[in-house]
Order: sequence, then structure tokens, then C-alpha cells
Amino acid sequence: MMSTPTKQMGRAGARSRTLGSLGQLFARYGIVIALGLIVLALSVLSDNFLTSGNLTNVLRQVSINGILAVGMTFVILTGGIDLSIGSVLALTGMVGASLVAGSKPHSPILAILAALAVGVVAGACSGIFIAWVRLPAFVVTLGMLSAVRGLTLIYSQGMPISNLSSGFKFLGQGTFLGIPVSVVLFGATALAAWVVLAYTVYGRRVYAVGGNMRSAHTCGINVRGIIFSVYALMGLLSALAGVTLTARTTAALPQAGVAYELDAIAAVVIGGTSLTGGIGGIPLTVVGVLIIGLLNNGLDLLGISSYYQQVIKGLMIVAAVLIDKARHADAA
Amino acid sequence: MNVARHEVMSGSDLLLKAEGIQKSYGGVLALHDGRIELCAGTVHALCGGNGAGKSTFLNILMGLEAPDSGRIWLNGSETRFASPASALAAGIAIITQELSPVPDMTVAENIFLGRESRRAGWFVNQTVMRRKAAELLERLNFAVDPRVKMRRLSLGQIQLVEIAKAIDQRSSVLIMDEPTSAIGDKETAVLFDAIRQLKSAGVGIIYVSHRLSELFSIADEYTVFRDGGFVRTGLMKDIDRDELIRLIVGGSLIDQQCAATEPEKATLLEVQGYSRAGEFEDINLSLKSGEIVGLYGLMGAGRSEFASSLYGISRRNRGRLVMDGAEVEINSPGDALKFRIAMITEDRKASGLFLSQSVRKNISLTSLSSLSRRSFINERKEKAVVQRMIERFHIKVRTRDQPVRQLSGGNQQKVLFARSLTTSPRILICDEPTRGIDEGAKREIHAFLAEFAAQGNAVLMISSEVQEILASCNRVVVFRHGRQVAESPVTRITPERLLHWAS
Amino acid sequence: MRLEELATTRSPKPAVTSSLLTRRQILKAGLAVTGLGFVSGCRNQSGKSVHRIAVPLQGMTAEFMQLWVRGAQAHPAIKNGLATFTVFDGRMDALTQANQFDTIITRRYDAIIFIPVDVQAGVGPATQAKAAGIPVIGSNTLLADRSLYVSYIGSESVISGEYVAHGVIDRLGGKGNVVVLEGLIGQSAQVERRQGINKVLARSPNIKVLETKSANWSRAEAQSLMENWLTSHGNTINGVISHNDEMALGAIEAMKARGIDFATHPVGGIDGLTDALEAVKRGEMSTTLQDANAQAQGSIDLALKVLIGPSYKPMSDIWNQYPGQLSWDDGKKTEYLVPWTPVTGENVDRLLAIRRAG
Repeated sequence: MMSTPTKQMGRAGARSRTLGSLGQLFARYGIVIALGLIVLALSVLSDNFLTSGNLTNVLRQVSINGILAVGMTFVILTGGIDLSIGSVLALTGMVGASLVAGSKPHSPILAILAALAVGVVAGACSGIFIAWVRLPAFVVTLGMLSAVRGLTLIYSQGMPISNLSSGFKFLGQGTFLGIPVSVVLFGATALAAWVVLAYTVYGRRVYAVGGNMRSAHTCGINVRGIIFSVYALMGLLSALAGVTLTARTTAALPQAGVAYELDAIAAVVIGGTSLTGGIGGIPLTVVGVLIIGLLNNGLDLLGISSYYQQVIKGLMIVAAVLIDKARHADAA
Repeated sequence: MNVARHEVMSGSDLLLKAEGIQKSYGGVLALHDGRIELCAGTVHALCGGNGAGKSTFLNILMGLEAPDSGRIWLNGSETRFASPASALAAGIAIITQELSPVPDMTVAENIFLGRESRRAGWFVNQTVMRRKAAELLERLNFAVDPRVKMRRLSLGQIQLVEIAKAIDQRSSVLIMDEPTSAIGDKETAVLFDAIRQLKSAGVGIIYVSHRLSELFSIADEYTVFRDGGFVRTGLMKDIDRDELIRLIVGGSLIDQQCAATEPEKATLLEVQGYSRAGEFEDINLSLKSGEIVGLYGLMGAGRSEFASSLYGISRRNRGRLVMDGAEVEINSPGDALKFRIAMITEDRKASGLFLSQSVRKNISLTSLSSLSRRSFINERKEKAVVQRMIERFHIKVRTRDQPVRQLSGGNQQKVLFARSLTTSPRILICDEPTRGIDEGAKREIHAFLAEFAAQGNAVLMISSEVQEILASCNRVVVFRHGRQVAESPVTRITPERLLHWAS
Repeated sequence: MRLEELATTRSPKPAVTSSLLTRRQILKAGLAVTGLGFVSGCRNQSGKSVHRIAVPLQGMTAEFMQLWVRGAQAHPAIKNGLATFTVFDGRMDALTQANQFDTIITRRYDAIIFIPVDVQAGVGPATQAKAAGIPVIGSNTLLADRSLYVSYIGSESVISGEYVAHGVIDRLGGKGNVVVLEGLIGQSAQVERRQGINKVLARSPNIKVLETKSANWSRAEAQSLMENWLTSHGNTINGVISHNDEMALGAIEAMKARGIDFATHPVGGIDGLTDALEAVKRGEMSTTLQDANAQAQGSIDLALKVLIGPSYKPMSDIWNQYPGQLSWDDGKKTEYLVPWTPVTGENVDRLLAIRRAG
């Protein structure tokens, strides 16, 4: 009498455990599965999709958003947000371009360093206001979005800068071991960021600050320093994206990068990083970046209207957040 | 046999009955046989350690979660609540461990949240609401002003407001989950008066508390859960404290009241004239090697505030700190850790743990610099340290990488102790270290503190429980209104004296 | 609405004053964005009354608008102090522009030269101005309701579409496969340029359109789009018709990476941006120039004619620039159309020289 219900319960338990772990697997890697499905569908629907030329194209096209999304992952992991990256990208691209344009160009290295420095300064400005003055990141970076765009227009007088030196253009057009330089930059950035977040003390602290700021403070972590640092880093990566974009389009345009912050945030969110901070990581952000890039590329290849593209991207974002929610419900 | 039993039990004053409640999460069975029979006009203690399934059971009663199987009767008819709203409508109200007031609304607005007095159908009638709230609070003898914002209240006062709210909803069943865990003895007395009023009005109360002495003074009946299942039910007057503890912990833990060793003489830390405006003033105390010092006082006496500034979370206005004969400056928790002072804060979820992160990352966080080379973490070393801590504190986990969120309160608290120990502290400050955790974990933590002190370290322990102070401390310092009013070895005081000093 | 637009609060403040412009070029765009500009006094040094003209325009981020402002600054009447003009940067947002009209009316400007962000949304503000007794001169972009104008000077967008399509199709000998890069869908320039292009395509039975898609006026977007098209259609794309130069330049970058010969694969754009002129010089594309200078200077002459009366004689020399195609006619016409200038190998050096001199 007693043993029967126990056995039944055991079986039921085992079954629901299997189902549960399948669900967990899906919640955890759903977005990777989605990427796989997209690749599969595109290779069936388009003959040209799975060609090395096209895949190189995709990587080159996502590299700008990829670099931005890597930086955005750090920011969002601390529970923050940076809306100013499109403007910083435009300003730094403009600064870099101005140094290598015209008849007497400076060294491209100098131009890149100058752009990166400007980016760090811009990011640091946001960081100071967010970490020490304790204004909300949304508001500070919204202000920076406008102010930095204005600085870009002042600096450029509203005109594009072209005729860039070929050394500088190498960044956007050259190849390294057969791989486009912009892709190499994105790959190196993502790899470095992944190592930092997953394997260093700094990375752990970023997660801690985003996971619970008060607990992080109690644990002796310099919370303000960490917050400041992620915005400075975001500025640096925006500048890297800025010079790469400028080199790719062979001109610095004052209206470059408008609304780029939204694609970067979308990639991070699709990759399952929680907007409240503390959860997420670089590998899935890269998956998010690839999904957005593949959708753009695939729908172009298939000749589908860009209107649908936007609808699909929107649905992906909402789906990603739903998966994220399901995962947390499961954990609780 | 089952049928017969059912008929007997569905007698006249049976208010709520549940049996065979089962629930599993992600394949793990959390509750396999939840039962209770609650009669009108009684206080029914629901006892059990953490992980016994109490919370799951209460969530199901409240309609927060759906059971996998089992039946619930309310006033004789079978029901199942799809949501907390429907449970509330049927007359079941709950006061939970996690209070969720709206901080920027007034007390009156919180009490009538969702049931506002209206004027012309659309506009909130503040005057009527405030008057009704004032009457209610006065009737219950709760000293809370209905016009102030919730943000201004102490934890204890917030608790009273929540209770007033539940009472005003005229519920026939009231579930109180650890109602006294955040309030002092004086407020507890006020609460018990309210409970007695409710009892005489015919309300049935399910009362969950880890403070066993409370149960004996307020409850009429008890039901014990252990490991997700029903163990025994009966009348409070038929059972004694030791028997109840035995039922809760399953007899696995032998009574080991750990008397701390006699302190040695060396002074580890000396606090001189610590003050912080509006919170505490002119605090002087010393911690000696091998000593556990209790910090006792009512809610709002400035105990936690003092401990926070000692650890560097908040700044002091005045005062000196002397360690090993030399003056030291502690302005941040980072400084405190450098001087080998660790702290376990009062609210483990808000200012201690990283709930979504793994047990491993929670434990190793403060000692990462010693577990890394050139800022890269040596994971092998980290895992070894974490494993040692998990074993040292008997933390129940599936894997080291399980999120802390999934652990019971006792195990979460042990994670905090494990973390603080990784930095090899000489002084440990703990604020209400055993609040809201089960009897087993409580004993383990007390045993740990005694052992820690015996190794030549010192502990400063804040507690609102007189019994805890008397049982585990060598010396007690009493705070009242931000001032230090008494200091005495515990051997020379009685609970009555302690209460007298504090109030 | 984009965040960009949200951020720049819709302050209806004036953006640029011409007196500042002539002195400090660097300050120009800065003031345009920060909205810190101020209006210089109502009298010039000799004490004569100065005509104050408000110029609400689409947005200072567009190169064409920069060129327009540059042209207006160079107008003799502005240089000699007979009139001043204040730029209101509409930031490509119709609501911002509507708010700026409130300011213009409150401050009682003498005349308005209006370049609407949106042909429909501009009607309301213009009606208000007219009701307040401020004459409205149109420039560049035509409002949906022409009766609100005293007069208008611009170039016909539909024709530019015809030009670009002709430019590419003629080079292909009327036969081949083309792709079309469209502007931001729904904007009047996009709608009208498409009309012109479709008109020509309808007459070209041997031209096959492989793809038509929007790259939102953006060089970077067009570059990605073209890369993807080159992947899916390979070498079957013979020509590119673009709604503007920016996108044409993006397509050119993508084609360069593939080593495509521009002599046999024509690319056409519209606007005559500086970068595009240089690309024409390199033989990479064709474009048609919209004469910002003529539109700006012409509109100032038309405004002064309204303010001063029949005695006013036009001061700009643009009226002699297009003999037989554009003439002053005593300023009595309600609509003046500035011809488009197809940019070719012959005139590109001259046009570039003018651009650099400006």
C-alpha cells in the first residue's frame, strides 16, 4: 500500500525533471537555437547565403553594432544604460577623419588615438554624473546624446569630411589574414570583453554592482569606480566603432550613428542580458548581434521589404524578454 | 477511513481545511503532503524548518501558486484560488515576510490601497480615508499616524500597518508569516493584543514564527511540517518546547546549547565616542579576544546604525577607533575588510546577497583578490575555497553554481557567514544573524559564532531576541534612543532587567 | 520617434543670426544646435531700419541646408546690412518647426522664408503666420497648400527623378538590370523622386528593376544593402539609381570592394553634394545638382520685394545665371523654378571651384 504511491511519485518526479531541464535548456539557449533556425532557413531559401563572400559581408556589417553592443553589455550589466553612443560615435569618427583628411594627413595611428581619447572623455563625463552626482543614467546619457551630437555639428560645421588617407581607410576596408579589419576588431573586442567579464576580478565586480548595489558596497567594492569605468569603456568602444564606421563609409558624416544605441541595446537584450543588471554576458550578446545582422542580410537577399524586417526585430526583442522572464520564474 | 475522518472534522467551527497538497518546482518536490485544519477563533502555529514546505503551502492557500494535487475547503465547501485577489475576496488575508508597502503613499492610503473611499465615484476621498484609518489604528492601539508617508516609518511600524490593513479587510482567515521577525519586544506585545482581539472576534489565524517562545504564549494549536510533508498536529498545551523542537528538526540535532568560552584579556577593538547626528551618540565599547558581545535594544535604538558606521557603510560624525593599540580610519566597507572586520547586515536580501548569482560567486566575492593573479581569477583555487566553506557550514546546495535565490533562508544566511569567513576576519559584526531562519540553522550559526570567538576572535552581535542574547553572548550592551545605557556580563542579568534597560 | 529627436527639447528659440555667421564660421553650427543664438538689433549702423527675416528650415544636419544657409549669407542685402536672417533649425521634426513658428510670430519678424520639414504638417504654421500678417516665401520644398505663399522658389523634385533615371538608363543604352535605392519612405522628396524615376522606367521596356528598397538616405545603410544585393544578384546588376547622393556613394563603396567597373556600371544620384561632385570627377557616378545658392538668394530677393515694394530691384546675380530658364520678371510670379544642373565631366571642375569658393 505504501510503496505504490511512492513509486508513482518517483516516476512523475523524474518525468517532470526531464521536462523541466528541457525547458531550462530552451530558456538558456533559446536564442542560440533561434540563431541556428535563422541560419538554416536562410541557407534553404537563398542560394547565395552560405557563401564565404556573403558571410564575410554579414560579419562586416555587424561589426559596428557588435563593438557597440559589447560595450553596452558592460553598461547594462551594472543596471545602467547609455543612449549617447550614436552621438559619441559620430563625434569621434569626425575627430579621427579631420586628422587624416586633406592634402597633409596626420598618421592614422594618431587619428585613431585622438578619437579613442575623445570617446573616453565623453564616456567619462557621463560616468562622473552617474556615479558621483548620482543622476539616473537614462537622463545623463539622454543629455549627452544631444550635447555630443551638437559638438559634432560644431566641429564639422554640419559638413561631411571625406578624402581620407588610405592608411586610415584600411581600418574599414582592409583585410587581415583575409578577414576584414573591422571584423577582426569586433572579434578581438568581444573576446577581450568575454575574458574580462568571465575570468577577472573586475568582471565579477561588474556583475556584483549590477546584481545588488547595496550588497556590493557591503562587500567593500568601489561601486562608484566600477560604474564610472563602464561608461568610460563604453565611450572608448563607441570611438572604436566611430573610426571603423568612418573608414568603412570613407567619410565622416555629422548625422552618422543616429539611433545606433537602439540596435546595440536590442542586441544585448536579445542576448538575454537583464536590463536590471547582474545577469548576462558577452557570448549571448554576440549571438544577439548576429541575429540582427542576419535578419537584415537575409531579408535583403530574399528581397523582402524592410518594413517586415523592423516588425521581426521588434518581435525578437519581446520574445527575448519573455524567455528571460520564463528563466527567472523557473529559478524562483 | 479517510471518509470517516473527513466527516468528523468538517464540524461546525472548522474554518479552513487543506489536505494532500502537493507541489513541485522544476522537477523538485517542494511539498508532498501539506495539511492543516484551522478552527474559528484560534491561533494555529505552523511550524517547520526552512525547506519544510511552509512557504509553498502558504502560497498555495493564498492562490499565489496552483497546487499539483490536493484539496482545500473553506467554510465547508471545496475551493481553489486562482489568484491572491480571489483568496482575499473569499476572506483569506496574509501578512508576509516581505512587506510591500508603497513608500510614497501615506499610511491611510496604504491601508485602503485598492479599496479607496471615493467621492463622486472617481475621486479619492482623503478625509474619510484618514478618519477611518485613524479609528482603526486607535482601536488596535497601534501608535502610527495615518497621515505620514510609509517611507518615514520603521520596519516595525510598517508591519503594524500591514496588520491593520489585513484586519480591516474583515478576513475570516489571517495568515501571519513571521510577523515579529522585524519588530521589537514592545511592538510584539502590541501585536499580540491585536491577535487576541481578532481571536475573540472569531477569526482563525495561521501563525508562522521561528521564535518558539512566541508560539507558546499566543498559539492554541500547532501543525508541524518537515521535509515537505505533514508531521503532526495537536494542541499547544499538550506539548513542550523540547518536544516541539524535536518534531521540527526531526531529532537529528541533539540539544547543544553552546556556552561561549570565557573571554581572554587582549582587546581587539576599542570604540571611543562614536556619534552620528540623529542616530546614536557617544558610544564607547570594546571587543576582547574570545568574546561575543550582544547589542540589545528596541527598534530604532540606533543599534544597526551604529554597526553600519563601525563597518564604514555610513560615516560617523565623531569618534575614534583603536585596533591593537593604534588608531585606525574606517570610511568604507573596503577599509573595514582591510582591518579584518567583516559584517553580516540585517537584511540579507537587500544588502548582503546577490540573489541571481551562484553560491560560488556569492561566497568568493570579498576574497577575490587573494584568489587571483594579475586580476585573473584562479578558478581552481576559488572552487576549493568555496567547497570548503559549503562543507564547513553544511550549506545545502545541489551544485556550487546554483543561484542563491533558490536556497532557503537559513542556507542563504550561511552563505553570508561563509563569505565573511573567507577574508579571515578577526572581528565579526552580525546584525540579527538568525532572523527568519529555522531552528537547525540557528543552532549551527550560534555554534559557529562560539567557535569563531574561541579561536581568539571577537563577535559583535545585534539581536532583538532576549533569549538569543542571554544564551550566546558573554557580555551585553544595551542601547536606548541612540545612547548606550547599560553594559553587563550576561551571567548577572535576567530577561526582565534587559527589557527594563531597553525601554 | 527617434531618441535623437526626443533629446533635443523642442525649444522654439532662434538658432543662428546672420551677423554672427559672417564673423565666426565655427560658431555657426554650434549655435544652430544649442539654440543659443540671439537676434541682432533692429537697426544697422547707419540707422536705417533693418528687415528681419526668419528662416525655419528642415535641419542643419543636412549638407544641402548648410549650402542653402551659406548661399543666403552671401546675398548682397545681407552683407550690406539691409536685412538680417535668423535660422530656426527644425531638426527634421514637424512639431519642432510648428513650435518655432509660434516664436517667429510672437517676435514679429518681417517675413518668413519657409522650408517645411513636411509638406502637410507645414500648412498649419504657415496659415498662422499668414493670419498674423507675416508674408511667407517658400523655398526648396513646396507646401501642400500653395495659396499660403506670396511666392515660391525651388526646383521640381519630380524632374530630378527623371534626370537620375535618364542618366543611368541612357548610359546603359536603354537595356539592362538596375536596382533603386529609395529615401526615407513617406517624405515628399522620396515620393516625388520616385514619381520621376517611375515615369522614365515606364518608358524603358528593356530595363528590368531587380530590387527597390529604402536605405533611409544613409550612406552606411546603402553600403550594407548594396553588398547584400551584390551577393544575391552577383554580376547581373548593371546600374544603380539612387534617390540621393549619400546612398549612391554608399553603393559605390560596396561596388568598389567588388572591383566593379563604373564605366560599364553607371550609378546615379541626386543633390550634387561635394563628395558626389568629386566622385563624378573620378568617373564613378553621375548626379544632378540642386542649386541651393539660387534657391536661397532668390528667396531673399523675393522677401525683400514684398517688404520694400515695387521699387526693389533684385540684388543677387542668380537671375542672370540661367538665361531663358529663370528670370526675375519684376518679382511678380508666384512660382520660380530653378533648373537642375546635370553634373558632367565638363562642368564638374567649375562646380567644384564654386563650391570651394563658397
